[in-house]
Amino acid sequence: MTEAVEPVVAIEHLSVDYTVGAGRFQAVSDVSLTIPPGRVVGIVGETGCGKSTLAQAIPRLLPEPPASIGSGKIIFRGTDLVPIPKSRLAMVRGTGIGVIFQEPLNSLNPAFRIYDQVAEAIQIRHWRETGVLRTFQPGPKPFDYSKRPLPTVADTLSKPFLPGGAVQEAAVRKLRTKADFRREVLEYLRLVRINDPETILDLYPHELSGGMRQRIMIAMALSEKPALLIADEPTSALDVTIQAQVLTLMKELIEEVHTSILFISHDLGVVAEIADDLGVMYAGRLVEFGPVARIFEHPRHPYTRSLLRSIPAIYKSDGQLASIPGSVPNLSRLPPGCRFNPRCSLAQDICRRDPPPPLRPIAGPGEDDVHRSACHFAESVEPVA
Amino acid sequence: MGRSPSDLAIFIGKRLLQLIPVLVGIILLTFIVTHVAAVDPCARWYPKGSPATIAHCQAQFSAPILTQFWNYFSQLLRGNWGASQLGQPVFPAIIAAVPATLELVLASLFLMIVIGIPLGVIAAQYAGRWGDHLVRVFYLSGWATPTYVGAVIAAVFLAKAIGLPSSGTFSSPPPFPQYTHMSVIDALIAGNIPYTIDALEHLILPASVLAFINMGIATRMTRASMLEVLPLDFVKSARMKGLSNFGVLYKHALRNALITTTTVLGVTAGGLLAGTVVIEEVFAWPGIGEYAFEALGGGGQPNFDGAIAVVVVFAIAVVLANLIADILYGVLDPRVEWR
Repeated sequence: MTEAVEPVVAIEHLSVDYTVGAGRFQAVSDVSLTIPPGRVVGIVGETGCGKSTLAQAIPRLLPEPPASIGSGKIIFRGTDLVPIPKSRLAMVRGTGIGVIFQEPLNSLNPAFRIYDQVAEAIQIRHWRETGVLRTFQPGPKPFDYSKRPLPTVADTLSKPFLPGGAVQEAAVRKLRTKADFRREVLEYLRLVRINDPETILDLYPHELSGGMRQRIMIAMALSEKPALLIADEPTSALDVTIQAQVLTLMKELIEEVHTSILFISHDLGVVAEIADDLGVMYAGRLVEFGPVARIFEHPRHPYTRSLLRSIPAIYKSDGQLASIPGSVPNLSRLPPGCRFNPRCSLAQDICRRDPPPPLRPIAGPGEDDVHRSACHFAESVEPVA
Repeated sequence: MGRSPSDLAIFIGKRLLQLIPVLVGIILLTFIVTHVAAVDPCARWYPKGSPATIAHCQAQFSAPILTQFWNYFSQLLRGNWGASQLGQPVFPAIIAAVPATLELVLASLFLMIVIGIPLGVIAAQYAGRWGDHLVRVFYLSGWATPTYVGAVIAAVFLAKAIGLPSSGTFSSPPPFPQYTHMSVIDALIAGNIPYTIDALEHLILPASVLAFINMGIATRMTRASMLEVLPLDFVKSARMKGLSNFGVLYKHALRNALITTTTVLGVTAGGLLAGTVVIEEVFAWPGIGEYAFEALGGGGQPNFDGAIAVVVVFAIAVVLANLIADILYGVLDPRVEWR
C-alpha cells in the first residue's frame, strides 16, 4: 500500500486545550492521524466533538490563547509545526496548507473586489515560487507544491489546465504582468465552474450568492496549490441544492487537482461521497479510523455504528428515526473510563472504569491495521443491518 | 448596483441638500441666543455706545420677531456679520482666519490618523496585555489633559526643551505671496524650502497638542472595531492565504475597521475646533480660535458679533466635517448603496 510514501501530514498524539476563565478543557485529546499524499481523509462527529478544532489546529489557526496545543506533534512534510514561532507560520499557510471555511458569507473580505482577493492569493504563491517571499523549507528537501506524483505528460496534454507540471514551471520563470494575473484569476474561477468569470471580477462578495462565494473560496485556496487542503464543513452552511453542486464540484476537483484533503463534516453521507478514509471523533477523541467503505460496511466502534444507524433511510421507514440516547458530554465534565460509555449499548464495567485503548487494529479474519478502533469491544460491534 | 459614479453624485447631492435645514437650524439657534434670550442686549453689546447707537440698536429689537429674524438672516447671507467695537467688520476678519485654522486642524487630523489609528490596531492586537495598557495610558492622558494645560506645557516647557518655536506661523515675514494663507502650503508653492521647514516647525507643536488631546477617540474606536473584525472568518482566510501578520492586520482587518473609525473622526471635528480656541491663543496662531478668544474678551475687548460669527463658522465646519465623514463612509463600505 502506501507504507513507503511520506505522509503530507502526520498528527501524533495531538491535544488541544482551551482555557476559559478558570476552567480548562481539552477539545482534542490524543489524536493521531496521517494523511498520505493524494488521499482525501474525512472527519465526522457531532457538534462540539473537536473536529473543527482539529482542522484549525493543523495550520495553527486557533487563537492562542484561549486555545493551546497541550502536547503532540503536527508533522507537515517532515517538519513539526508545533514549535514553530507564530511569526513564521505564515510561510506554511496558503502554499503549504490551505483552508476552506464553513461560512462562505463571512470568509471573503467584504471590502475588497473578487479579483483583488483571488489575485492576492496568486501573488503570494507567485512570490514564493520565485523566491521573492520566503517560504517554508521543511527538512533537506525543497518545498514542493503538489503532493501527488507529478502528472504524466499525457495527463498534462489531456487536461487544458492543471496546477503543477511543466506548464507551471515555465510560467514561474517568466515575470508576471497584470494581464498574466488576470488570466490566471480567470483560469481558477473557471476551474471552479464559474462560467463567465469576467463578469464577477469587479463585484464585491456581498453581491454574490453563498454558493458562488464558496466556489471563489475554493478557487482562492486552490490557486496557491497547497500540499494539504483543509475543508472545514465547506457545505454545511449552504442550501441543500447548492450543497450538492459544491460537493460535485469538489469531487471533480479532487480528480483534477492533486492535493491531499482533510474534509471535516458532520454529515456522514457527504463524507462517504468524497473521502477515501474516514475518522470518527467523539468528545475530542478519534474513536475509529479506516477506509470509508469498510467503516460503512462494518463499523468497529459502537458510536460509529449508532451514527450510521441514525442516517434516515426512506426505504425502511417504520415511522421512527433512530437516534443515540443521551447527549454529547460536556468536555469539562467527562465521564470516567470511555467517554461514550453512558450512551453505549455494549458498555461493561471496564468501560466505566478504564480509558479505552488507543486506536488499535481489529483482531479477526480479514482485518488488517488499516481499519482501527478505540473500543475495548471492537470485535463485538455488529455490522449495520 | 447603486454604486456608479452618477449614483455617487446623487448620494453627495442629497447630503448637501440635507445641509440646508441644518444650517437654517444653526442660524435660528444663534438668532434665539442673540435676539430672544438676551436680556437688554443693546446695553451689553455697546457698553460705551453713544445714545444714538443704543437707540438705533433698540429700534431693531422692537421690530416683530419674524422681521428681526429675516433681517438677521439676510444680513448673514450678504456677508454682513456685524463689526467689532473698534469698528472692524467681522466677516472679512473671520474669512481671513479660516485657512490658518484649517491648516492646524488638518495637521492634527493627519497626526491622529497616522499615530492614533495604528495605536488602536496595536491595542487590539495586544488586547488585555501590556501593549494595550500602554496605549490606553497614552490616549487617556491625552483625553484627560485640559487643553490649556497641554498647550501651556507644550508652549512654555516643551518648546524650550526641544528647541521648537512656539509662536506664530513663520519666524520672519515670508518674502513670497501667500495665496492660501496656509503657511506650509504657501511656502511649498513658493518652492522655498527653508521657509517650509520653518513653517512645519511652527506647526508641529500646536498640531501635536491638539492631536494628543483628541486622539483618544480615534484610538479607542479603531481598537473596538478591530476587536469586532479580528474574530471574523475573513481575517482567518487572509491568514490562511499566507499573508504576514502585518498584511492581515493592516490590509484586511483595518480596511474594515476604518469604516467605523472614519465616521467617528467626523465627530471629533467639534473637539478639534474647540481645542483651537485655547491652542491658537497660546501659540499665537492667526486662526479662528485666536479670533474667538479675543472676541470673547480674552484681550479685554469683547466683540459680540465676532463671537456669534465664530459660533456660526464652527457650526458650519462641524456639519461639513460630518458630511465628509458620511460620504467617506459610503465610499469605504462597498455594502452601502449610493442612493
